[in-house]
Amino acid sequence: MKKEKDFHLQDPTWCPGCGLYGIFSALKRAAVSRKMKPEQTVIVTGIGCHGRLNNYFRAYGFHTLHGRALPVASGIKLSNPRLSVVAVSGDGDAYSIGLGHFIHSLRRNISMLYIVVDNSVYGLTQGQTSPTSARGYVSVSSPYGAQESPLSGARLALAAGGTFIAKGFSGTPGHLASLFERGLTHKGFSLVEVHSPCVTHNKVNTYSWFKERIQEMGKDSDYDAANRDRAWSVLNADEKIPVGVIFEEKRPSYEELVLSGKEPLASADLNIDRAEFEKILDKFR
Amino acid sequence: MYTDLSVMIAGKAGDGVLFTGNILAKILKRQGWEVVTTRDFPSNIRGEQTNYTIRANLEKIHGRGDSIDVLMAFTCDAVKMHVGKVAHGGIVLCDGGRRLDISEKDSRGKVFHKFLLRKLARDHFKDEIFKNMIALGALSYILELDFRGIERIITETFLKRKGRDIVRKNVQAVTLGCERAKKIIDPEQKHQIKKKKDTNRLLISGDEAIALGSLAAGCRFLAAYPICPASEIWQWLAVHIPRFNGIVVQTEDELAAVNMALGASYAGLRAMTATSGPGASLMMEGFGLSGMAEIPLVIVNVQRAGPATGLPTKTEQSDLDQWLHGSHGEFPRIILSPGTIQECFDFTVKAFNLAEKYQCPVVLLTEQDYGQNLRTVGRFDLSSVKIDRGRILSQEKLLKSKDYKRYKLTRDGISPRALPSMKNGLHMVEGNEHDERGYRDETVENRVRMMEKRMKKLESSTKDLLEAKVWGDEDAKIGIVGFGSTLGAILEAMNQLKNKGIRSKYFQVRTLWPFLIEEFQSFAVRCKKIFVVENNFTGQLKKLIDSQVKIASETTSILNYSSQPFCPGDISAQIEKSL
Repeated sequence: MKKEKDFHLQDPTWCPGCGLYGIFSALKRAAVSRKMKPEQTVIVTGIGCHGRLNNYFRAYGFHTLHGRALPVASGIKLSNPRLSVVAVSGDGDAYSIGLGHFIHSLRRNISMLYIVVDNSVYGLTQGQTSPTSARGYVSVSSPYGAQESPLSGARLALAAGGTFIAKGFSGTPGHLASLFERGLTHKGFSLVEVHSPCVTHNKVNTYSWFKERIQEMGKDSDYDAANRDRAWSVLNADEKIPVGVIFEEKRPSYEELVLSGKEPLASADLNIDRAEFEKILDKFR
Repeated sequence: MYTDLSVMIAGKAGDGVLFTGNILAKILKRQGWEVVTTRDFPSNIRGEQTNYTIRANLEKIHGRGDSIDVLMAFTCDAVKMHVGKVAHGGIVLCDGGRRLDISEKDSRGKVFHKFLLRKLARDHFKDEIFKNMIALGALSYILELDFRGIERIITETFLKRKGRDIVRKNVQAVTLGCERAKKIIDPEQKHQIKKKKDTNRLLISGDEAIALGSLAAGCRFLAAYPICPASEIWQWLAVHIPRFNGIVVQTEDELAAVNMALGASYAGLRAMTATSGPGASLMMEGFGLSGMAEIPLVIVNVQRAGPATGLPTKTEQSDLDQWLHGSHGEFPRIILSPGTIQECFDFTVKAFNLAEKYQCPVVLLTEQDYGQNLRTVGRFDLSSVKIDRGRILSQEKLLKSKDYKRYKLTRDGISPRALPSMKNGLHMVEGNEHDERGYRDETVENRVRMMEKRMKKLESSTKDLLEAKVWGDEDAKIGIVGFGSTLGAILEAMNQLKNKGIRSKYFQVRTLWPFLIEEFQSFAVRCKKIFVVENNFTGQLKKLIDSQVKIASETTSILNYSSQPFCPGDISAQIEKSL
């Protein structure tokens, strides 16, 4: 039985108070309760402050290019479905430079947990406006206020055919761990979008700002995550920020549909059957 | 009797030119001939002019010829477009009532027949679609093709998909075309061909040969985005790879394709992606990640004419510069160029072995002319395929190691790989500069060390790379240099020169990068004049050579950026002129 310390490689050096601490802690908790093993786990990260997670979380790690965590994670999972694959992105990674991959990963539905660390700002590059920054947000890249509307990842996910859509808050790591756990249990692509304050650059979306707006879905006992219409209305209520599992649907995962071998492809014998090969060659006679 | 023959079928897109051409190519192949097809198609579905040339020869050929002997035209416009290329003594059949307005110069020494394919199809089958088989029937009369063989191919083509009735009607249409041709075409105008035994050969495109090569090499994963002229690779694999438990993923774009292949390869699979110019541009980012993170990757680039969207279905050799210099920063890369269909198969296997051995990206650079056109080739031999996975650690070995380092500094720069799921092998792979364990390290000492480690792999690889192949007269003072699909035209140009008493030799570059300097130098010193032949405007191969080697001999570029493959005469005439 693994303990949290088995997934703890070293203490993080994110800014004190950064939301990523809560995410790190929640992910370790979820890994323990899901009985994961470090060598059977791959953490795939994009570019941004979240990308340092690989340096702290003990598992196989792949720090990819900006925006490309999802295709890399997809390739890994298809190659070896026995691995637990956790992809992590920031809001710039997921909703700006990697948005195409986000939408298509949702409809492809390959089993993995996808954590989007949303701090509404580009933290690593000194605080530029991000795709989830509010209209009017003032930063080094929008000194007169952002003129674009913010993007809602969860709403996009629902429209794109996502089968597991959850939202969490890094200020409540216990609750967040339960979301990660459910995401890791779900067959198919699991999105957990985490509101995660950037204490250095974002002075608007602070812990207290979130606490005033957050509404936990679990507390509402009649909430049914299988109900798509309900999920829409919850996500469309602008005054509140819902956290919890917003929507979950049972659908075969992509790897279940396309992989036919008993063994993972990564460990399959690469030599091909001569008779089969010759049969194929005969088609060109 | 003819020993070399070119038949062009021409019409509008949607006329069934490709279909008719493919069947004729198969018939000629089964009659024992060496076949090369050249499809010249616009990138649209209907309406514009298209043509398909089948060249057949009793001896081995690799490319198209200089002229056409038989032109089967579905429209009068097609006759006007191509009549200039018809050889003296050639025969032209045209499905058109219009009076052909052709100059005396273009029509001299050629025979023209009105042949109303559509009308015949309507009258006899109430369906114009049968015009293609009627045309084939007419050609079978002119070439004296084996009727039984045609019947067999029609049965193979239609029986399963369309049923017995359609087979019967198509055979009837061929018979009708043949009889009608007999009535109007003088036997003296026929172009009879000899028969030879068809021994153990394939009629296959370069794209298909690459797909087959990848299967044989153990590739079980391909991620790609639709693009001309590379789609055939994965469309073919999409059909056949599931039999070997493998998969093809159609991605949202080429960024996803290259990164997904990287993910699969990192997890231990042999993975590939295939694309053409515009997709290659998008893949540059992932190309660099493969180099930096030292993840094996095979990228096939079937070159089309660029830049931008360019000419999607036409051939060119203009992506060499991009693969040589592309992506930011510096990292080791290997670029291979197959010059025959056999090499398309062999080099694909080689590419996978090199990628895993040297843990770097390997680019297989081909061209539309090879990718989409059919050629005859000896049956591929699976026993020639050797899979070398390079330094992947076994679980036993890894358990014994005390302190596993993914990017361990070694003499040749190659570090043993542990794969995810292995015990005792936990590590990190990084696109950022990293230390031996894979963790980010921006110190100057580390940067220098790791940069040298990665680049050292290139030096280590040279012993494993594909040497150039020298064709022709070794003692000749005229040297020709080129790569890829220009081989056919070059070899025939050499023959044309030989007939005029000019001796030459061809240096076929098979590894474009790392450039094998010594072998080139030893070739160059024995030439008085060197001609570098390539399908591009700026002479990319010549620029590469100039950047690597100092050569004393006079070097001239022979370039073709018309979007069409070279004809042998284009090359021989330029060489002759400059002597």
